[in-house]
Amino acid sequence: MTESALPVIGANGVAIPEGTRGDAGFRTYEVFQRERVGQSTPKIKPAQLVSREFADNPYPLLAVLRENYPCYRDWLNNCFWITRYDDVTSILTDGANYETRSKAWRLGIEGFGRDLRTALPVLTAQANAWDASCRRLAESAIADFARRGEADLATEFAARLNMQLWLAMLDPPAESAPQVAALLWRLHRGVSWDPHARWLGAAAADELVAELAPLLEARRQAPGGDLISAVAGLELEGGPAQPQDLVATLLEMDFDTLHGALANLWLALLTNAEEFDKVRGDSRCVKLAVLEAFRHSTPMIAAQRFARHEVERFGRLIPKGGLLVCSVAAANRDPRVFANPDRFIAGRKDICHREARGQYRADGLATGITPGLGPPTKHPAVPEDRPRSLYALTRDAVITASGALLEAVDDMVLADEAKPPSAICRRLGEMHACWHLPVRFRPR
Amino acid sequence: MATGCPFALDIFAEPEDHAKDPGAQFDFPLMPEGQAYDMGHAPDGTPLFDPRILQSAEFFRNPYPYYRILRDHYPVYHDRLHNTYYVTRYEDITRCYFDDEGFNTIPKGSSSGVLGNTQLELSGVEHRRRRNLYGQHLVGQSLKNRIPAIQRQAREMIEAWDGISDPRVVSMADGVRTVELGMAFANEFPIRVVCEVLGFPKEAQNDFYYWYNSMMSGLGGSETHQQGLEARQHLEDYVEGIVEARRKQPTYLHDEVGNPISKDIISKLCETKVDGDYLSTEEITSNIALVVGGGGETTRGAILNMWHLLLRNPEQFEALRNDDSLWDAAFHETLRHSSSIGGQPRHNTYDVVMHGVRVPAGSLMEMVDFSANHDERVFKDPETFNIFRDDLYTGKILRSGYNKDGRRNHMAFGVGPHLCPGAWISHQEAVEGSRILLKYLKNPRINMERMPKDTDGMSLKPLGIVSVRELHLDYDLA
Ligand code: HEM
Repeated sequence: MTESALPVIGANGVAIPEGTRGDAGFRTYEVFQRERVGQSTPKIKPAQLVSREFADNPYPLLAVLRENYPCYRDWLNNCFWITRYDDVTSILTDGANYETRSKAWRLGIEGFGRDLRTALPVLTAQANAWDASCRRLAESAIADFARRGEADLATEFAARLNMQLWLAMLDPPAESAPQVAALLWRLHRGVSWDPHARWLGAAAADELVAELAPLLEARRQAPGGDLISAVAGLELEGGPAQPQDLVATLLEMDFDTLHGALANLWLALLTNAEEFDKVRGDSRCVKLAVLEAFRHSTPMIAAQRFARHEVERFGRLIPKGGLLVCSVAAANRDPRVFANPDRFIAGRKDICHREARGQYRADGLATGITPGLGPPTKHPAVPEDRPRSLYALTRDAVITASGALLEAVDDMVLADEAKPPSAICRRLGEMHACWHLPVRFRPR
Repeated sequence: MATGCPFALDIFAEPEDHAKDPGAQFDFPLMPEGQAYDMGHAPDGTPLFDPRILQSAEFFRNPYPYYRILRDHYPVYHDRLHNTYYVTRYEDITRCYFDDEGFNTIPKGSSSGVLGNTQLELSGVEHRRRRNLYGQHLVGQSLKNRIPAIQRQAREMIEAWDGISDPRVVSMADGVRTVELGMAFANEFPIRVVCEVLGFPKEAQNDFYYWYNSMMSGLGGSETHQQGLEARQHLEDYVEGIVEARRKQPTYLHDEVGNPISKDIISKLCETKVDGDYLSTEEITSNIALVVGGGGETTRGAILNMWHLLLRNPEQFEALRNDDSLWDAAFHETLRHSSSIGGQPRHNTYDVVMHGVRVPAGSLMEMVDFSANHDERVFKDPETFNIFRDDLYTGKILRSGYNKDGRRNHMAFGVGPHLCPGAWISHQEAVEGSRILLKYLKNPRINMERMPKDTDGMSLKPLGIVSVRELHLDYDLA
């Protein structure tokens, strides 16, 4: 809704759409008082949920919520925390009751452009680009550090591969690639509460428009197989795609999961010798390790949903507009679903080994929830004319890249055993990932 | 950085302050009062606003320069960390308060955990009906009749100082007496008055004071929430007994010479019907809890802040000594300058757009009364305490607000349908109590040595947004 569409009432710039006033009456909080004089939640303080402790390692605090207050009313941060697996998946698959607000809204540039992420040619362009270039890009990254016998896998491998896959998908001219990469990074970091990051993000959106506009025009005339060409060629109701639409689309696409999952997978392997051995001994095991990393150390640790209307769930009345923080990290370690949930076990028996459907399950077994990759399809099989899901695409990229690394080096260990790296949120609300992973190895 | 990644660029340049604390408890440096910490600027010069400041120690002692940034640059500020929208300009807040259909009071559910379901959370017709039940006892003739009782409470408390042996409360040296006005007077006085007005027996006053303290510290899901709930249960048990007794045998309030004035509030509530039903004991208790809770902390803060501000502005204090009628202005200017309540939460029932910010229906919108009171669009030189200012309305607070002859009402009591029904009684308490205090306190001045200090270790701690908690006064014994 844009401001101009609303009547402005009063001199102070306040506008309320007249049409909507009729349908809501007064509501009182009495209906929310299930607990007659309130529920005490002494085992946790809401400030802990936005603390450094939480940003560094959210799992212990989330376990307190999950085991004691599965629908925790957090007055400080004005939200409800949902922490059990079945509860989280039931919300993530229920678009009728819960709204996902766009990243553009979160960045504060709502209405910037159209989100064309789900258009078939766009999906196809991404799948083609990733499938065609993943192995090659992983090998070239490895080649760049292999001879040194040491590397930082988080930066030189995981972050770099993600960025290069994005560039392969957009295919900008070589000279502008570094600039496009930097802008994409800033754009996605801007989806944050942090004012600096947000400002940079909003500015990056404008700069990307300037940077990509000529490309979009050129590819409208002479299309290639890249994503920009796909966007340029879309036939849309409101006229052909504008550069703003292209940037809005890039903003809504998942940017973090591949990067974070790849880094976190290798952190898990390097800190679990037994599991690492398994993976080294049997290349089919790589896939199982990746599935386990999606579960055990998912980088996107929460997804936000807003109640579309007053809705009764979890023994509570969630008011219209109420924010549900679906804690994926807590859900993925729910002992009701996964035995020994804090352990990283490649090939665990209680996780499904194929892409989940519907309620995040396959063969009756649960999967690691990766909210950035969208909910599982409800269809029993992928239609022929569609590319694989983003989930499958991302999973396969992590598998391919990790396989390439395993083939290229021997005896990989942490560079400094005394100071083992860990996954953290660099900024509250950002992905929970291993940002530095220095290793030593023997090149083959 | 030697990452070997040609695209690293600024990727791994970590924002400095985040490297120090990625969470929300960033330690902002403490600034001189009135100056904002520089949270950075956008390239166009707009100051940035970091939502973590709102929970910081710096903000609690020095909030006003930050509110100014919000008013000037983000009149509707979306705090994405705490999922809240802050509304900070006087005119906007006024408008939202009057429209209790568009901006309803649902979010106060945080306090009802302890207080119970109260009129605070009601809106529209339901709210008006209940509010009138209580409101009528706190204003007009029924209150006027109670003023002698308020004065008597004040005198009794002050005269009891002679018997206090705790040196933290009252002490003596060289003909100079030092009192901590909070413990010696202001903390308890409002509760006693409320008890009196509600018609509770005198013996219950100490219990009330305890229940009140426990309930207050139990609000908002705090650590002492459990204790708050227990205190609330005790209050309820107590009130239940009284209610049962009054249902059978109503009791009356009496004036100073013993003539019955009217039935006391509880007796009246016992015979009141809403929707054809008598009020339940639970309903009566909740609203008593609200009156006890709403009337204590607030008035305590108002009395202490007023004395603090007056004694720090001796020429104004002097004027007031010579002109008793200035107390009303002093009371209101205190609440404008340093109120004891920061603001009120509201939920918007519909999507609204304010100052270009779309606020989706059902969002938490915090109406910042503190900021409204310091809005330079309404009050000149708002940071200055000045009981003579010509832009503040200092008469009896009105639900309709006041906007005439260049004077406006302050926002410390809110405005519109939810305007504090205790505005008039707290005014009487603070003013009558202070008049009497002044009679007893010869040459009062702040005992700088005992007062909590600001960061420099020398000047007084600013009032900030939490009211003075202790006020040490010296005065000469006559
Ligand atoms: C200086 C002292 C006081 C201040 C600054 C103050 C301030 C306020 C404010 C800001 C509100 C909220 C209005 C809203 O939601 O918009 C309020 C409500 C209320 N106050 Fe006070 N108050 C004070 C003293 C008292 C006293 C002494 C009593 C009772 C004897 C009292 C009883 C109440 C009640 C019952 C409400 C709820 C009104 C409603 O929602 O309709 N207050 N007060």
